[in-house]
Amino acid sequence: MKATLIIASDEWRYWLRSKLALAVVAIFLVILIFVSLLTAVRMQAESHERAHYQADSEQIFLSQPDRHPHRMVHYGHYVFRAPMPLAIFDPGLDSVTGQTMFLEGHRQNSATFSASESSANLGGLSWLTPALIYQVFAPLLIIVLGHGAVTREREAGALAPLLAQGLSGRILLAGKKLALFLFVMLLLVPLVVSALVSLNSGESQLAAISLVGVYLVYLSIWIALTLLISSVLEKRSSVIATLAAIWLALTLVLPAVAVNVSSHATPLAGKIETELTMLTEVRDLSDGHDVDDSVYNNVEAGLLEEYGADRVEDLEVNIRGVLAQMAEAELTKTLNVYAERRQEAEMRQGELLGKHGWLTPALAVAFASRSLSGTDLVHYHRFLQQAEELRFEFVQGLNRTHAEELSYIDDINRNRDEESWERARVDASNWQVLDEFYLEPASASVRLAGAGSSIWMLVVWLAVLSGMLIWTGGRLRL
Amino acid sequence: MSNFNALKHETRFMLRDRAFVVWTLVVLGFSSFAVWSGMAEVRQQRESIAFLVNADQQDRLAEFTKQSDWGSAAYYSFHLTYDPPSDFAFAAMGQRDASSWKHRLRMLALEGQIYEHDPGNPELALIGRFDFAFLSGFVLPLILIFLLHDMQASERSAGRFNLLVAAAVSGGSLWWRRAFLRSGGILVASIAPLLIAGVLSGTTFSTLIGAVALVVAYILFWTLVCLWFASWKRSAPVILASLIGVWVLLSTIMPAGSRAIIDVMVPIPTGAEILMTQREAVNDAWDLPVEDTMEPFTERHPEWTGYTHTGEGFDWGWYYAFQQVGDQTAEQLSQAYTAGRVERDRLAGLFAIAAPPALLERLLQNLAGTDMGSVLAYEGRVRDFHAELRSFHYPGLFGDAPFDPGRLADLPQFSP
Repeated sequence: MKATLIIASDEWRYWLRSKLALAVVAIFLVILIFVSLLTAVRMQAESHERAHYQADSEQIFLSQPDRHPHRMVHYGHYVFRAPMPLAIFDPGLDSVTGQTMFLEGHRQNSATFSASESSANLGGLSWLTPALIYQVFAPLLIIVLGHGAVTREREAGALAPLLAQGLSGRILLAGKKLALFLFVMLLLVPLVVSALVSLNSGESQLAAISLVGVYLVYLSIWIALTLLISSVLEKRSSVIATLAAIWLALTLVLPAVAVNVSSHATPLAGKIETELTMLTEVRDLSDGHDVDDSVYNNVEAGLLEEYGADRVEDLEVNIRGVLAQMAEAELTKTLNVYAERRQEAEMRQGELLGKHGWLTPALAVAFASRSLSGTDLVHYHRFLQQAEELRFEFVQGLNRTHAEELSYIDDINRNRDEESWERARVDASNWQVLDEFYLEPASASVRLAGAGSSIWMLVVWLAVLSGMLIWTGGRLRL
Repeated sequence: MSNFNALKHETRFMLRDRAFVVWTLVVLGFSSFAVWSGMAEVRQQRESIAFLVNADQQDRLAEFTKQSDWGSAAYYSFHLTYDPPSDFAFAAMGQRDASSWKHRLRMLALEGQIYEHDPGNPELALIGRFDFAFLSGFVLPLILIFLLHDMQASERSAGRFNLLVAAAVSGGSLWWRRAFLRSGGILVASIAPLLIAGVLSGTTFSTLIGAVALVVAYILFWTLVCLWFASWKRSAPVILASLIGVWVLLSTIMPAGSRAIIDVMVPIPTGAEILMTQREAVNDAWDLPVEDTMEPFTERHPEWTGYTHTGEGFDWGWYYAFQQVGDQTAEQLSQAYTAGRVERDRLAGLFAIAAPPALLERLLQNLAGTDMGSVLAYEGRVRDFHAELRSFHYPGLFGDAPFDPGRLADLPQFSP
């Protein structure tokens, strides 16, 4: 144990003497802190802005004057996708997904206005976030500091005396590992700060701690990989060249290749394509039947019987409102079937992409990070689903008002003259059917479970590399 | 003659260099994969468009059979617009993964429809594709760095440096020859698959030549950077680390900084402002006197000044007039949104001069018609088409052209 500590502190002393190492670490930390601050400020500003628009939008809806309830169905409502607390660290899909959605009767619109559509186009890496720095650039730092850990001793001729003095290769490697591990802990300080800030905005401790843990495991993988190559190869220059090539493959090439593979293997029908497929299928189903008339007659007969009335005019409810409710429910059921189908297809494609984490831990950590931060595909779908629930609820609420608060006679005569037009309205207090829209992340345990398979990949990566490292340590020779 | 011999000798030496051979094969493999999957994606998008065009047509025809007046015919018929992938899109998918290249519109206010978002899986868009633009812009420089950084340092540490320099005609030309031969090999390995894919995809000759010229200039740039660093009298690891540092600076820090600065420099209206303005205008119209809608409408369309509101409460002409007035109300915001994007893109082009990887990617996207300019041009075509739809329907809505289902066959067709 003591020997391990001595080796670790020796390694730190060596780094502290190297001006180059110090400069690289200092520049990295400055950039990391700067990007962390900028991202936190930007996401919090986004958060406030969208919350503000959400409140405005609700207030505007509720303050609409008395009118025909179906007018409000088409007046519609806007919802905004509020960023999750941990988005200050990993904004995830925020930049490539729409921020706002228009909710109205009879239609499910898409989420519009994503940041990437209007921002300056300067390549994928220009969307620099703290998460991306940890995923892609922190490994480089570990390589720069750690590549010489074993080779340096060997090249300086120090390895032979060390081993001859009875120091086992395993202890030597354990010392180097400890040194790098402590360095990684230092690197994680900005992440810990971001996590603490997110706790302040209501994030759960479990999610915040798991997020830090996931990055600790990920960077430990890079420590093990660096030491492994450093022990196996003879020359320092070949160690760093090999590690740099591995870094290129794991962080830049394989994730993008996995995108091509997933997109090719599971082609996705877009929203328009799904809708057109639906329209075709629905039309084929209803061919040759005059559905509208028969449905109307059935509903009319049912209502007349229920209320013991002879004429539609004598019903206690407005049959037009009842029909609107039925039609909306029917249509929504169909729309939801296709929306779910599309979301499931996206999830399948996302899962296939995620499986490539077995090939590169960079992809596994990215998936785990987004999942824990509540900025992944699951949470984007949650937004779409919750928006749809809200839409259906207020549209049906308005249709109910249409059925119960507006007389049938006033309704059908609304186009007769100015006065009838005025009469076919209901009181504005009915707009209260609109619920507040409050988007919350899934519970921390659900998010942790969602990140489960990616975390499992990271653990296996670490276990395999650590095993190899221990094995190499036992065989460490000149 | 001696130059030629030296070249021959150097080439022989290079072909025995395992690192060079391996990296060249890797680049050849990467490039082949990139263009092959790019072509597969283009094929998929074309198939998808073919399906959409047909299904859209069927749906419209089916709707028409139920309609008996101009107003409902316009209300219930949707029209597909799309931006097909170009003959070079396989090399640079660019904005096609994040921006919409297809819409389905009808004659309602356009501002409520044109921002509808229907790209693919955001998870894929976030990571980005391994296309030729990414390969050449971001991956190739690193491979050149791996290959060239230790040219001199390795000879130095092997003790051959002085001997080599003394034996060469001139010390400088030895390293230049060595470096350019190697980058030449990488260049050929990256470009050969691109050219083959270009021929298979029927890419315009000038586009291919342009792309090759860009990649040649880009590889030249990085070779010079590597040569300069390689001449440092430092150890290979130090040179390698410094070169990777330069790569990080140019590929990530400069672009990220530029983007942040540009987005602050050029503010644009938020989507919420545009959408809500348009909606309020359209919806207020229901409660306003008809003249309040028809006045701004006839200002744009003096030819329909004679139109009088015929129906008692509801009338299609009035309805479509306030749809258009909704667009007119949001026009300023919408134009500011477009102008802001144009300006941001212009500045990004300027700032990219200091970030060559982003610059190359942008230029390749420009050749492929997948850059921001192409997205905006497509939006322009969508606006023009929507205007054509209006001109087609207005005589029926505001004039006295009687409803004639046969005329619907003459509806404007969107041509991409």
